[in-house]
Amino acid sequence: MSATSRTLLARGANLSAVVLLVFGPFILYPLGGLFLLSVRTKSGVSIDPYLRFFSDPTSLEVIRTSLAIVLASAAVATVVGVALAALLFYLPFRGSAMLVRLMELFVAFPSFLVAFTLIFLYGTQGSVNVFLVETFHLSHAPIDFLYGFGGIVFAEVIYYTPFVVRPTLTALTLIDERVVEAARSLGASPALVARKVVLPMALPGIVAGSILCFLFIMNEFGILLVLGSAKLITLPLSIYSAATVDLDLQAAATQAAVMLVASLSVFVVYRRVTRAGTRSHARG
Amino acid sequence: MARRGTLALAGLRLLTGAVCLWLFAVPGLVVIVSAFASDWVATVLPASFTLRWFEHFDATDVDAMLTSFEVAGMVAALGTVLGLWLAISLNPLEGRRLGGLLDAVIMVPNSVPSVVLGLAVLLAYHAPPLDISGSAAIVVLVQTALVMPFCYRMCAAALKQEIPVFREAAASLGAPPAMVLRRVILPLLEPAIRASVALAFAFSIGDLGATLMVYPPGFSTVPIVVIEDVERGFYYRASALALILLALSLASLVLVAGRGRRAKVAAVAMER
Repeated sequence: MSATSRTLLARGANLSAVVLLVFGPFILYPLGGLFLLSVRTKSGVSIDPYLRFFSDPTSLEVIRTSLAIVLASAAVATVVGVALAALLFYLPFRGSAMLVRLMELFVAFPSFLVAFTLIFLYGTQGSVNVFLVETFHLSHAPIDFLYGFGGIVFAEVIYYTPFVVRPTLTALTLIDERVVEAARSLGASPALVARKVVLPMALPGIVAGSILCFLFIMNEFGILLVLGSAKLITLPLSIYSAATVDLDLQAAATQAAVMLVASLSVFVVYRRVTRAGTRSHARG
Repeated sequence: MARRGTLALAGLRLLTGAVCLWLFAVPGLVVIVSAFASDWVATVLPASFTLRWFEHFDATDVDAMLTSFEVAGMVAALGTVLGLWLAISLNPLEGRRLGGLLDAVIMVPNSVPSVVLGLAVLLAYHAPPLDISGSAAIVVLVQTALVMPFCYRMCAAALKQEIPVFREAAASLGAPPAMVLRRVILPLLEPAIRASVALAFAFSIGDLGATLMVYPPGFSTVPIVVIEDVERGFYYRASALALILLALSLASLVLVAGRGRRAKVAAVAMER
C-alpha cells in the first residue's frame, strides 16, 4: 500500500470516528430524536401534533409575539450597532478602543443578568424612576415599560448590539482607505461618500451581523424568563414551560422541532451570506 | 463655521462615549453596586454599603458555586479536546463540499435555542440505551455540545492561519503524523487552545437555558440559584452570587486567554 493511500485511509477512519463519537452523541442523535418524538403518537407516526400546534390560537399568539420581539429588537440593534460602529471608527477618541473592548467582554455576561440589572434602574422603584420623581416632584413613577414589550426589546438591544458593532467595525477596517480618498478628491461630499462608497463596501459585514443578531434574539431565553409575562411568551419560553411546568414532553418536542426548523433556516441564510462574502474577498 | 463643526464633532464623540457606557458598562456596574448595597429601594443610589450578602451565602450557594466551577472546568476541557479534534480532522477537507457540510453541522448547537438543545439532550438521554438524566453528566454533556462550536472555530481559525507551511515542512522531512501533531501542531495551537478553554469556561458557567432543561434533582449551578433568587425577589443575594459568576468568567478570559487574545475570542464568539 502506498503512503498516500495509507494517509487517505487513516483520514477516512478518523473522520468516521469523529462522526460516530462527536457528531452522533452531541448533535445528530439528540436533535434527530426530537423530531421522532414529535411525530410519534399513540396511534403511530402522525403529523397530528403539528396540525394541533398550528391550529391552536395560543401557539399562533406565541409565534406573533416571537416575531414582533425579534423584528423590533433586531432592527433597533442593527441601527444602533451600525451607528456606534461608524462613530467609533471615523471619530475615534481617547478611550474609544477601551469601549470596544468593553463591548467584547459582553460575551462573558449572561443575558439574563442584563435583564436583571434593568430592574434596579428602570423598575418602578428603580434609580431612574426615583430620580425623576424626586427631581420633577411627580406623583408616580414616569417610566413603566420594563415588564413588557419595551423592556424586553431594550434588554435584547443592549445585549445583542455588540454582535452588530463587531462585524461592522471589521468591515469598516477592511475598506481600502484609498478608494474613500479618491472619491473625496473627486469632490464627493461626506454624505455621498458614506452612501455610495462606504456603505456598499461595508454592507456584507453589516448584513451578516444583523442576521446573526436576528438569529440569537430569536433563540433568546434568559431575558424573557426575567422580563416576560403571561402575555408575552416567545417560542423558547413556551417550550420551556411545556416541558417543565405542563410536563407535556410531546408538545414541547413539537414546538422545539418547529423552533429548530425556524432557527436552522435563518442559520442557513447566515451561512450563505457570509460564505458569499468570503468568496468575493478571496477573489478581490 | 469651522468652530461650530469642531464643536459638533466633539459633541458626537461625547454622545458615542455616553451611549456606549450607558448600554455596555452600566449592567456590570449595577451588579457590583447592588451586590454591596445594604438597601437599594426608593433611592437613586444605595444609602449604605455592606458585605452582608456575601457573608450570608448558605450551603446551597456554596454548593452551586463549587458545582458551577467543576462543571465549567470539565466542559472547558472536554469541549476543547473535541473542538481540537474536529478542527484537525476537518482541516484537510477545507474548501470541499463535505468539509463545508460538516462545518455547518458543528455550528448547529449554537444556532438553535439553548432550551431546544437541552430538551433534545434530555429526551435522548433520559431512557435506555443510555440514561444519565439522574447525574451531573447530562449537564456536562449538554454544555459541551453548546460550547463545542466555539472551541472548534477557535482551533480551526488558528490551524488555517498558522499551520500548513510547518506541517508540510515537518512531513516532508519524514516526521510521522503523531510526531507532527505533538511537536508541531499542538505547540503552535497553544494560544488558540487557551482561548478555547477560556471561552468555553465562560459560556459554561453562564449558561441558563440548557442547564435549566436537563439538571437533575438536588443539582444546581450559580445561574439557576440566581434566577430562583430573582423570581423570589431576593435581589441583593442574586447580585452577590452573580458578581462571583462574572468574576469567575472574566478571570478565565483574562488569565487563561491572556492579553491580546480577547479580540480573537470576541471575533470568534460574535462574528464566526
